[in-house]
Formats: sequence, structure tokens, C-alpha cells
Amino acid sequence: MELRVIFDKKNKAAWNMALDEAILMHLEELGPTLRFYGWFPPAVSIGYFQSMEEEIDLKKASELGVDVVRRLTGGGAVYHKYELTYSIVLPPPPGKILDSYRIVEKGIVNGLKALGVDAELSGINDIVVGGKKISGNAQTRRYGGMLQHGTLLMDVDVDEMFSLLKVPQEKMKDKMIKNVKERVTSLHNLGIDIEFEELQKIMGGGFKKALNAELYEENLPDKVLSQARKLEVEKYGSRKWNFKR
Amino acid sequence: MVAESGISRGRAIIKRGKLIKIDASFREDRIEELKITGDFFLHPEEKIDELEKSLRGKSVKEIREVIERVLENAEYVGLSPDTLVEAVNQAWKRRN
Repeated sequence: MELRVIFDKKNKAAWNMALDEAILMHLEELGPTLRFYGWFPPAVSIGYFQSMEEEIDLKKASELGVDVVRRLTGGGAVYHKYELTYSIVLPPPPGKILDSYRIVEKGIVNGLKALGVDAELSGINDIVVGGKKISGNAQTRRYGGMLQHGTLLMDVDVDEMFSLLKVPQEKMKDKMIKNVKERVTSLHNLGIDIEFEELQKIMGGGFKKALNAELYEENLPDKVLSQARKLEVEKYGSRKWNFKR
Repeated sequence: MVAESGISRGRAIIKRGKLIKIDASFREDRIEELKITGDFFLHPEEKIDELEKSLRGKSVKEIREVIERVLENAEYVGLSPDTLVEAVNQAWKRRN
């Protein structure tokens, strides 16, 4: 398989989600496409089925200048700050949707291996190192294609994360923070401090191997970028979408 | 707020690996409105709207059949007909 790869920069949340969807809409003409990106300003994304008001302390987010956005994919709220994010758009492989998550997740596992980190898949959508989560992944099928995106934590600030996220029981918050600190890790915590751009290249190699693909770098056509601009304004930047549940 | 006569509201939060929250209002024993939120996965995602829509007007006793029918060809993690039935029943029991 030939896999277009885009080494992108750190972008606004609405743009990132809009571009993921625009690429998915144009799978047929773009071919399989992998994009690495980051988030600036930092952002909290919520899963497709979550409630914005119940998951995020919006006042705090606004104070900290943190973007908020609803994803096209399910799963939980994620604080995107010190991380590398990937998105990949492919023709849907045969078989169960839930079984296909790991086809892509192996790309991250391989990339981590190249960094000397022994990681493994956990459940459907997590990647763990020594039992601690370092990557979360989520997928959707739409427009005849498959989109999977996921995170790789470069560092993590659990206290800041929980200042932004609401929890079901406020009195349990301290316990939850302690619990998450014990259950989440990052490259930094594993002693790996690496530049964002270099990490993108290494992870690209991981996906190449996992998907048995030839990577080629090619920018996205204007048509896809203008579709993304439209989605950025009309969907991912809109109250209608972000607060729809 | 003065409660409309015959209307009650209930909320349930169920954790089975993932979190499912149900906010429901009932008119007598029938579901008037229902919102399902959480960090689960459901493919295709739009099934959630179909679920909420199909459950409106149903009595608590009828929900299993509706849920099983809507989710028949869906794939899900952290959400299942059993947990949904459990959650709606919990919201029903906890209604005010």
C-alpha cells in the first residue's frame, strides 16, 4: 500500500478535527493518508457521545486559553497538550470494526519499539507500557472510509488535566487524580525527551511497518483544505456541534 | 421549578469499564425524553439518535426489545443492551 504522510504542525482544535474529516471525505482521490499533528493552543476534545458541559469546566478552559471540541469519534475526554496525535484514513478493512482498531494501533507500538519502549495493546483502544496508558485511540466509519485517530503522550500534567475535566463525583476527585497518576505514563516519564518533529518521523516508520506501506510525503490539494475550512467554521467551531449532547 | 403533573425525572450513571449516563423524563411509566451520554464506543455513531428516538413513548417494560432491535447490527464497547436496560431501569427507580 502507498500511504501519503503529512507531517503537520500544532493547530487549533477545530481545524484538526475538520481536517481529519475532510481527508476522510476525500479518501478516494487522496488514497490512504496518515497525518501527524499537535494542538496549539492546548485543547480538550470530548468523545462523540459525551456532554460538553458535563465533561469540561468551560470557565477554567477559557481562563487557561484551552480550546474545546467534540470529536467525530467515540471515547472519552482527552487533554491535548504535550502529545503527538495521528490520524489515518484508509479503505475499511474487512471484518469487525472493533477488530480493526489494532491494525492501526500497531503503528504506535512499532514506533515506540523504535524508541526502545516495549508497549502493548490493551482492550480495544488503549496502548500501555508496563500496564500504564500512553496512547488512546478511536475510530469511525463514514463516507465509505475509515478514520482512526489517536494520541501519544509526550508528557502529562494530570493536575492541570483534572482542573479542566469534571468528574462524576467531585468528592472523589483527589482519589481519581491519584489513580490516574498511577495508571498513565508518557515518553517523558519513561526518560525519553524528543522533539515533536523527530517523533513524527519515528512514528511514521512505525506505521510503515505495521501497514506494510510505502510512505510518500505530499501536501493536500486546495480542495481538501477548503473543505476543512468549511468544516472548521460550520461544524467543529460551532456551538451546534460542540454542545449537541 | 414546578414539576408538571405526571412527569418525573431520573438519572443513572453506570460504569462498566466505560461510563454510561442516562437522563430521562417519564410521563407515568412511559419515557418522555431520554439522553444517553458517555465515553463508550458505538458503530455506527448515529445509532445513538435512533436509540433515543425509538425509546420515546415506550414503557420501561418495553425497552429491552427496542434496544436489542436498534443495536442488532451495531458494534459497541462499554455499552450493551444489558447495560442500557440496567441504566434506564436505574433512572426509572431513582426518578423524583
